[in-house]
Amino acid sequence: MVAHSQAVPRRRRRSQRAVSRRFDSAGPFTYVFLILVVMVSLFPLYWSLVVASHDNAAVFAYPPKLLPGSNLFHNIHKLFNPDLVSVDFAKALVNSAIVSSVVTVTVVFFSALAGFAFAKLEFRGRKLLFVLVLATLLVPVQLGLIPLYIEMIHFGWLNSIKAVIAPNLVTAFGVFLMRQYIAGGVPNELIAAARVDGCNSWRVFWHVILPAVRPMAAVLGLLTFMNTWNDFLWPLIVLNARNPTVQVAVAGIAAPAYTPDYSLILAGCFISILPLLLVFLLLGRQIVGGIMQGAVKG
Amino acid sequence: MSALSGTGSSDKVVAAPRARRNLLRRLDAKLSPYLFISPFFLVFGVFGLFPLGYTAYISLTDRNLLAPVSHFIGLHNYALLLHDSYFWNSVENTFAIWILATVPQLLLALVIAHILNTKLHARTFFRMAILLPQVTSLVAVALIFTQLFAHDYGFVNYVFGKFGVHHIYWESGRVSSWVALSVMVMWRWTGYNALIYLAAMQSIPEELYEAAAVDGARRFRQFIHVTVPMLRPTIIFTVIISTIGGLQLFTEPYLFGQSTSGVTGGSNRQYQTIVMYLYEKFLGSTQFKFGYAAAIAWCLVLLIALFGLVNYFLVSRIRSAES
Amino acid sequence: MKSIFKRRSRLVLVVAAVAVLATVSGLSVKGASAAKRSNVTLTIDVFGDFGYHDLYKQYEASHPGITIKEDTEGYPEHHAALAQHLATGAGADDIEAIEVGFIANYTTQSRYFVDLRKYGASKLKKRYPNWKYQQAVAHNKKVIGLGTDVGSLGICYRTDLFKKAGLPTKPAALGKLWGKSWSDFLAVGKRYQKHAPAGTKFIDSGSNLFNAIVAQASPGYYSKSGKVIVKSNPQIKAAWNTTMRAIKLKQDQGLVAFHADWNAGFKNGTFATVTCPAWMMGYIQGQAPNADGKWNIADVPGGGGNWGGSFLTVTKQSQHQKEAAALVKFLTSPKSELYVFKHTGNLPSEVPLLKSKAVRSFRNPYFNNAPVGKIFANSALKLKPQPLGPHQGDFQTASTNAIQRVEQHLQSPKAAWQQFLKDAAAASG
Repeated sequence: MVAHSQAVPRRRRRSQRAVSRRFDSAGPFTYVFLILVVMVSLFPLYWSLVVASHDNAAVFAYPPKLLPGSNLFHNIHKLFNPDLVSVDFAKALVNSAIVSSVVTVTVVFFSALAGFAFAKLEFRGRKLLFVLVLATLLVPVQLGLIPLYIEMIHFGWLNSIKAVIAPNLVTAFGVFLMRQYIAGGVPNELIAAARVDGCNSWRVFWHVILPAVRPMAAVLGLLTFMNTWNDFLWPLIVLNARNPTVQVAVAGIAAPAYTPDYSLILAGCFISILPLLLVFLLLGRQIVGGIMQGAVKG
Repeated sequence: MSALSGTGSSDKVVAAPRARRNLLRRLDAKLSPYLFISPFFLVFGVFGLFPLGYTAYISLTDRNLLAPVSHFIGLHNYALLLHDSYFWNSVENTFAIWILATVPQLLLALVIAHILNTKLHARTFFRMAILLPQVTSLVAVALIFTQLFAHDYGFVNYVFGKFGVHHIYWESGRVSSWVALSVMVMWRWTGYNALIYLAAMQSIPEELYEAAAVDGARRFRQFIHVTVPMLRPTIIFTVIISTIGGLQLFTEPYLFGQSTSGVTGGSNRQYQTIVMYLYEKFLGSTQFKFGYAAAIAWCLVLLIALFGLVNYFLVSRIRSAES
Repeated sequence: MKSIFKRRSRLVLVVAAVAVLATVSGLSVKGASAAKRSNVTLTIDVFGDFGYHDLYKQYEASHPGITIKEDTEGYPEHHAALAQHLATGAGADDIEAIEVGFIANYTTQSRYFVDLRKYGASKLKKRYPNWKYQQAVAHNKKVIGLGTDVGSLGICYRTDLFKKAGLPTKPAALGKLWGKSWSDFLAVGKRYQKHAPAGTKFIDSGSNLFNAIVAQASPGYYSKSGKVIVKSNPQIKAAWNTTMRAIKLKQDQGLVAFHADWNAGFKNGTFATVTCPAWMMGYIQGQAPNADGKWNIADVPGGGGNWGGSFLTVTKQSQHQKEAAALVKFLTSPKSELYVFKHTGNLPSEVPLLKSKAVRSFRNPYFNNAPVGKIFANSALKLKPQPLGPHQGDFQTASTNAIQRVEQHLQSPKAAWQQFLKDAAAASG
C-alpha cells in the first residue's frame, strides 16, 4: 500500500507546476540512450520486413541483407491466395481481432471492478482473497492444457473461438495492477464525495473509478491485447487451421513440408502486426492523455 | 450533507424510504465487494481450479497419454523426480537464465521508465517503440535470434570477428546459451516492464517531486528517494511476475533450439528449462508420460512459490515510502 | 473528458458485443449453408504441403456430395496435437497424416484408428514395397495407414567441389567407387579431404550419416517381436563407429539437418555431400538457387535407404469412416501419387510406379539432369524391411544429440555412446 498522505489538496495553480522536476528537459545523452533502445527494439522487426520484401534466399544471406527489397506486395498477395497458402489468413486476422478485443475489454473492466473492491471497499476476507488472487498466478499454462481441453470438449467449444476467449476473461495480473493503481491514484475524498451524493458502489465505480483509471486502463488494455494477440500454444491445440487465430495461421504458413518460404512467413508476420500497431496508435494517445492529466481526473 | 430531510409533516412518509435506502445501502456495502470480485473467481473456478485438481490427481498415477489404462502409484513420480538428474539440470538452467535475464532487465526497465516519465520530444513515439519487441511475432523472433547467435554465419560472431574475437559456439556451450537466451528474454520483456513502471509512476503525486526539488535533489536523487520507494509495490509485483514467468520459461528456449534440439534444449540439455522438460515428457517426444509431467508441474509450482517468497522478502527491504 | 471516456467505453462494449454476436451468427449461418451444399464434409489433417489441392478438386468433381477440407500445421505441432486429440477423444480429423517417425507410436495403439483391411487394404499390399507397407501394420495385423510417399535415399553432391578436389564427378563413376559400403564412402572422403577447397568438408552432418546407415539396418532399434535392441544390435554400434570415424577423420562439418547453419551451408557450399531423400531436392533448390547445375545425385552406399515418408490414416473419431477410407485410397492410388510426384517431387511409394517409365525416366535439370527417378526408385526397391517401434523418434533424437556432443567437443565418443544408451533406456522405460 502506498503510504503517502492524501490530505494535500490536489489542485495547484499551473505556475507552481513549473517547479516540478518533470519539466526538466532531457539532455542529449538521454536521447542517444533512448534512440539506442529504440533501434535495438526495432531491429528484428525491421529485419523481418527486409526478408519479407525479398525472397527465401535472403534469410540466410551472409553478410546479412539490410535493405528492403521490392517483393513485399508480391508476397502479401501470395498470402491471401487460397491456392498457394492453405491457411485462411483473412479469417485468422478477423478471429484474432475479435478474440483480442473482447478479452481486452473484459479484462480491463473486470480487473478494474475487482481492483476497486480490493483497494477501496471494506469486506471480510479481503486480504486473504487478494492473496488467493495472486496465488492463481503460480499455475503454469502448460499444466492446464489437457484438462482445459477436456473441459472444452464438454462445453462443445472445440474449434470455436469461444474456447480461446473464455479462459482469459479476467486475469490476476490485471486485478493486481488495477488494485495498486486505484489504491494510490484515486483519492478517498472523491469516493466519499460521491457517496455523499447518494452513489452506491456500482455508481461510484462507473462514475468515479473508471474515468480515474484511464492511464492504467490504457496500459493494461494494450498489454492484454498484445498478449492475447500473441498467444500461440493454447489456440494451436484447441483451434484448427480452418478457424485459426493469427499466430496459428502464421505457424501454418511456416509449415510447408520440407521447404519453408521464409519471406512468405515473415510477410505473414508483418501483416499480423498491423492491427496491433493500430491498437497502439489508438491507445497510445490515451496513455499520453492520461499522463498529461496527472493522476487526478479533470 | 445531502438534502434528504423533509418537513415535519412528511417525516413518516420520508422515514420509510429512508429506512429502505439504509437497508439498500447496507446491503450494497456488504454484498457489492463480493459481487465485484466474483467474475474473477468464477472464471478461475471454472478454468483454473479444475486443471489444478486434475493434474494433482494425475501426478499420482502412471498415466500415459495414449495408453488405455493407468494405475494409482501415490508419490512414486515425485520420488523418481528427486533422483532425476535431467530434472535437476533443468532446474539449474532455469534459475541461471532467470538471474541473467531478470535482474538486469528490471533495473533497465526502471531506468527507461524514469526517463520516459520526463518531458521529452517525441514522448509518445519512444513509449510505443519500447513495446515493439512484444509486437514482433514469435516466429520472426526465433528466426532472428538463431541467426544472430549462429556459429558460422551469425551476426554476433560476425561483429566479434571484426574485433578479432574468436567465434563463439553460442548454442552448444552451457553458459553461452544461457547468455544468448537471456539476451532474447531481455529484449522481449524490458519494454513491457518499463511500461508497467511508467503507468504506476503516474500515480505518484507531483508534490513529492516538487518537495524534493525544493530540497535540492536533482533527477537522480529524486529517482532514488521518491520514485523507487513510491514504486515499491509495483516493483515487488514485477519481481513476482518475472519470477513466475521466468521460472516458467518455455517459448524462447524452445524456439532457440530448432528442430531436434527444440525440446531437449540443446544436444547436452544445456538450456533445457523445467517447462521444456515437462513438455518433453508429456507431449514433445514419444514418451507421453502424463503422470510424470504432472508431478514436474507441481514441483514447479512449489519452486515458484518458494522462490517468489524469497524474492518478495528481498525486495520489500527497499526503504518503504514515508509520508 | 469523463463523459467522453464513459461514452467510449460504452461504445467499445457495444462493439465487442456486436462482434461476438456476429461471430456466433456467422458461424451458424455458415453451418446451415454448408449442410445445404454437401452431404458429407471430410476433414484431412496434414503437416506442411502434401500437394493434394488439385486432387481434392478432382475428387469433389467426381463425387458430388463430398466436400474436402484440409488442415495443416508444422511437423512437431501436428503430431503433438494428434496425440492430444486422440487421447481426449475429440478434435481429430477424419483423415490424419502420420509421418514414419511417429507411425510406430500408433501401430502399438491401433484402437484409435480404423482397420483399413475393412476397406480392402489387404488387396493393396502388393502395391507397396514390403518395408513401407509393414510400417503401418500393427502387431495384431491391423492396417492403420496407407503409404503416401517414400523418402528413399541418394547422395547429393557438389560437382564443382568434387572437381576441385580431384574426384570424378559423374554419378555412375561415384556409384562404382562407394556403392558397396560406407567404408568405401569414407575412403572417398579421405581422398576429398586431401585436396578439399578451404572451409569445406566431405559430409554435412554426422547425424545424417548415422541415420542413413541405421535406416538400412535390419533389424534396427527394435526386434521383430517389438523388443528394444539398441544396446545389443551390432548394426547400431557399427553405424556409430562409422560415424565416429568420419568425425575423427575430420570429414564432418558437424551440422544438424534443418538448423540455421545447415541451411546456410547449402548456400555457402560448406559441405560436398549430403544424404538426400527425394523430397530434399526441392529443399536444396529453395536454399541455393544460385547453385543451379552444381549439384548431382549418385546412388547411396550399401543399397537402399529411407528418410521420411508418411501415411494416411482414418481415425475412429470420424463420423464418415467409409467415405474417408475411400478418399484415402484415392489419394494414395498410383495415379494420384504420380500426379504429386510430377508437381512436388515427393517420391511415390507404389512399386508399379517405382518401376514405371514415367518415374524412372524423370530427370531434374537443377541436378545436372541426373536420372533422379531411377536412382530414388532403385533405392526404394532395394530397402529391407525394418521393424519400427513406438520410441523410434526418441532414439533418433538421442543419437543426434549424442553425435552433436562429440562434434562440438562436449564429450568423448565413449561417454557420448554411454549417455545415448542411457537416454534410449529412459525413453523406452
